[in-house]
Amino acid sequence: MSQRELADIERALTDLGASLELPPTPDLAAAVSARLERAPAPTRLSPATRARRWLGGLGGWRRLAVAGLAVLLLAAAVLVASPSTREAVARRLGLRGVGVELGGTPPPTVTTTPGGRLDLGLGRRVSLEEARRRVSFPVLVPGTGGLGQPDAVFVSEVVPPGGRVDLVWRARPGLPASPFTDAGLLLTEFKGQPTPEFIKKVAVAGQVEFLEVGGEPAYFFSGEPHFFTYLDSAGNFREEQTRLAGNTLIWQRGDLTLRLEAQISKEETLRIAESMR
Amino acid sequence: MEGRPLDEQELVEQARGGDARAYEVLVRRYQDLAFRTAWVIAGGADAEDAAQEGFVKAWYALPRFRAGSPFRPWLLAIVANEARNRRRSGRRQDDLALRVAEDRPSGDAAPSPEAAALDSEQRRLLLAAVGRLGDSDRQVITCRYFLELSEAEMAAALGCRRGTVKSRLSRALARLRAALAEQDAAAAAATKLPGGDR
Repeated sequence: MSQRELADIERALTDLGASLELPPTPDLAAAVSARLERAPAPTRLSPATRARRWLGGLGGWRRLAVAGLAVLLLAAAVLVASPSTREAVARRLGLRGVGVELGGTPPPTVTTTPGGRLDLGLGRRVSLEEARRRVSFPVLVPGTGGLGQPDAVFVSEVVPPGGRVDLVWRARPGLPASPFTDAGLLLTEFKGQPTPEFIKKVAVAGQVEFLEVGGEPAYFFSGEPHFFTYLDSAGNFREEQTRLAGNTLIWQRGDLTLRLEAQISKEETLRIAESMR
Repeated sequence: MEGRPLDEQELVEQARGGDARAYEVLVRRYQDLAFRTAWVIAGGADAEDAAQEGFVKAWYALPRFRAGSPFRPWLLAIVANEARNRRRSGRRQDDLALRVAEDRPSGDAAPSPEAAALDSEQRRLLLAAVGRLGDSDRQVITCRYFLELSEAEMAAALGCRRGTVKSRLSRALARLRAALAEQDAAAAAATKLPGGDR
């Protein structure tokens, strides 16, 4: 191998580097600052250090339990989307099977479900056992939160591929009825594929928080109601299937995508999500 | 872009303490570096997104930054990781759409002094040869000679160990040399054809 020749090439590359037009850098500083402005400082994460010290005084399983809670609280250190970075954010909202559009215009038709019904147009009503037999993934249920077994279970085997299960809990004290569905809590589980999207959401920027559930990405929609659309059984998004939703958490567990809609606090929602077994 | 190290350390410390303004100064200082690195790895379409996300993630990761260690490689590792994630999930990398400054490939360039034209032609040939290398070779050469990254920064950007950088670079250079030899041979053959030369 001729060293001289290699040295020539290196020199030529250095010369070339000096004469290249590199792509113009966009104003990242402004965009980053805009995003950080509405988000918590990194030091807010440092309660972990304080918590660790405090945990030192506890022992055994109590310590474990509190540590679990601390994980949950840490997960709530959030990043709030700001309009100036709408485009970047819209692209990064990439939970499998879920598309999120920030600040878009909602479709004209909005469905509301007649009061008192548990049937939300979700598919076939079956028992939980039946649902478990029908879909290709293990159906998870909340382990805590005093919810108990769901009041109704719906299954759809066709869309999305791999199937979908909806669990519905009736409204009760501590679990107010949704103004949009009348249900207390609606939990949807499906096997999310990178494409096509199964759920489309239109939300106002600033209304979405990026969280973590069990170390995996999650989005929490709160504040003003947002619009969302399910893919119908023919695989199309239809405007008449668009409906309003209140507080909603969407997260991922392995290749499962879960959606929890309930008019409860973010903390309660996260606790239920973390307890899914 | 060499920044005063003490100054940088101070800024990082302030940012670690939650000072977003200090962090903005850091972002401004390193946005070229971060954007270009993301651009080498992810391609044009995703570079801005990757760099922006990298800066935001780095802000949240600051409490884990080891005080006193160099900031640039640490930042580049985060940005490059974002860039790689986008690239894996997204489309194939665009061509390295670099241009030789004096001679834009769009449209025929105005006649220029002979020496300069020759020079820029050589540069273009060299750039074309780099562009035809495999992703890994092209990235290591671009990081070293076009972005002028240090060894530690290259390791961070390319996601490999520092010891690997040197061997990766010399392999890439050897392949570039072979490609150039081929290019020369093809050019020589072309000039022998009647009418092949103007």
